[in-house]
Amino acid sequence: MPMRILYVEDDPRSAAAVGEILAASGDVLVWEENGSAALLRAGMEPFDVIILDRMLGDIDGLTITRRLREGGIGTPILMLSALGRSSDRADGLDGGADDYLAKPFEPEELVARLRALHRRATGREHSAVIIYGAFECHLKARTAFRENRHLALSPKEFELFRYFMENAGEVVTREMLLRHVWKMDFDPQTNVVDVNIGRLRRKLEDGFDRPALETILGSGYRLLDGRR
Amino acid sequence: MIEARRSIFSRLVAGAIVLSLVLLAGLWWLTHQTVSSTLQEAARAEVDVDLAGLADIYATGGTAELQARIADRIALTPVEGSTSHYLLADDSGRRIAGDLAQWPPLDPAVSESGIITIGTNSRGFARAVQLGPNLRLVVARGIDIEAPVLSSIAMAFAGGGVVFIALVALLGRFAALGLQRRIERINLAFREPQDGAGLAAAGRIDGDEIDELTAHSGAALARVNDLLAAYKDTSEQLAHEIRTPLSHLDNRLVKALAQKPDPAIAEKLAEARSEIRRIVQTLESLLDIAASKANRGDRSGLAPVDLSALVTGICELYAGSAEEAGLALDWTIAPGVTINGDERQLGRLVTNMLDNALKYVPRGGHVAITLEPGPVLVVADDGPGVDPQDRERIFDRFYRGRGKGEQTSGSGLGLALARAIAERHGLTLTLEEPAADGPGGAVFRIAAAK
Repeated sequence: MPMRILYVEDDPRSAAAVGEILAASGDVLVWEENGSAALLRAGMEPFDVIILDRMLGDIDGLTITRRLREGGIGTPILMLSALGRSSDRADGLDGGADDYLAKPFEPEELVARLRALHRRATGREHSAVIIYGAFECHLKARTAFRENRHLALSPKEFELFRYFMENAGEVVTREMLLRHVWKMDFDPQTNVVDVNIGRLRRKLEDGFDRPALETILGSGYRLLDGRR
Repeated sequence: MIEARRSIFSRLVAGAIVLSLVLLAGLWWLTHQTVSSTLQEAARAEVDVDLAGLADIYATGGTAELQARIADRIALTPVEGSTSHYLLADDSGRRIAGDLAQWPPLDPAVSESGIITIGTNSRGFARAVQLGPNLRLVVARGIDIEAPVLSSIAMAFAGGGVVFIALVALLGRFAALGLQRRIERINLAFREPQDGAGLAAAGRIDGDEIDELTAHSGAALARVNDLLAAYKDTSEQLAHEIRTPLSHLDNRLVKALAQKPDPAIAEKLAEARSEIRRIVQTLESLLDIAASKANRGDRSGLAPVDLSALVTGICELYAGSAEEAGLALDWTIAPGVTINGDERQLGRLVTNMLDNALKYVPRGGHVAITLEPGPVLVVADDGPGVDPQDRERIFDRFYRGRGKGEQTSGSGLGLALARAIAERHGLTLTLEEPAADGPGGAVFRIAAAK
């Protein structure tokens, strides 16, 4: 089901770029150029997710967040900002935003985060077992299977696998993995993510003839369904 | 608030009380001495006048007349004041007339005078004279009146003193409280610099010293706040103005990649995107270094961080990469080592140290990470080490080492940022002197600043 998204952004080029990304993912984007118009519209129409630029001409993103919340509008908010340092992220999240993404960003990451916010808001959280193609991830037992064969994963590898399963079929970027699996909001200079993915890939593919993970050049990885 | 014992104002009030006590005691002693000597002086004058009169009587009337007059005087009881006592005796001290029982220890040959005991418990001033051959006279005057006068003076001082000291303490406390409130206001403004506005308005240059201090403190705080705000604005604008066009550029590359170009071109496009990432990271590192330096020594906003868990997690993250690079990565982490800090920044510090080791230690080398309580974090390797002349320069911004002979990537900001983060947490990051017989290599040590 396509999401209805309100995007508040004073830079038309950024707005157009996000518009294209969301058009490609089949979602509906409503663009507002300034904060006051956005507040008005958010009060009148329902949206699945609101994307806010941090720095706007009239009202800044943090203030809009506060006013929306004070006005009883609980729509999940993703702050999309050119301010990307840890302290900026902390400000945004402390200020009431549900997620924070810095420009420039991977298009896939924006879509994945919007879907995750929407999923959380509508209560369609993952159940105890996630099944995708030939893969199974048992969250409580912390076990993983491919074609009913147990995969011996280390605790960190299981976290990694689980994150792929939660975003099954979608592109997962290095930044997303660092953030969710290793709780880091910066990219180390060493190829730590690639190497850890390489190890997971071997465990997922060992003894099977179909690949499990696809590398998307320049952006990240995608979990394949692993079916024969 | 400073505890009362250490407060300059409590000490001032206590000092004022002690000083008042000493002054009162001194004043009492002075009064006591003056009154006492005045009373004795009066007694001496009376004794001398009496003695002169009696000497005249002896000269004109002889011993018999003198005896009669002494008896008269003894019989006369004064209505008020002190009584006089006499003793007329021969040279052996045998009494001829008078009411004193025995000759006092005074030498009549030199007309000696002094305080004598009269009867059993009375005191008096007396003078002895040699009236004629084998005849001497002593005249004494009681000074017992001294005691009640002096004791009432002491009582007056004690009573007045208590009231005086109480007043000093009360006024001192009142004045000190006023001063303390004004000083505390300045201290509070420095403790919470964000709320320091209004301090400048409260102080007046034409007021007293504290008013002036308040005004200066307020102005200084306002200036610091302005600088911080300007710094924040500038860095935000800088980040915004660079990130936005880079974001547009990145978008074009994404669109080009979406056209499924041939693999060689796709690879170049992906590399261009990585370059954009690197520019953004350099920008952020520079801003982070500046922010860490600006926040040096400021402990606000820091929370306890489990350093043992943090370092272990990062070592595990790097284990695979180290293995692929042909390095033995070992870590020895003492459990439960904590520090007050910013977890993300500390993570950045540790990753930067490991990035650095993995970049410069050649295949077959060893990297050892040790965390001990303190905290002391040591990252040691047996790589080529650092040239002596570069030992401090490696912490400079944009300094790049020679690496493993390969193309050395990176911003040249890793160690500069690591040091800035360490200093922001009250830690020092140093490169240890290599041991003469050691394996060489670089040994970085992060420890609490002395």
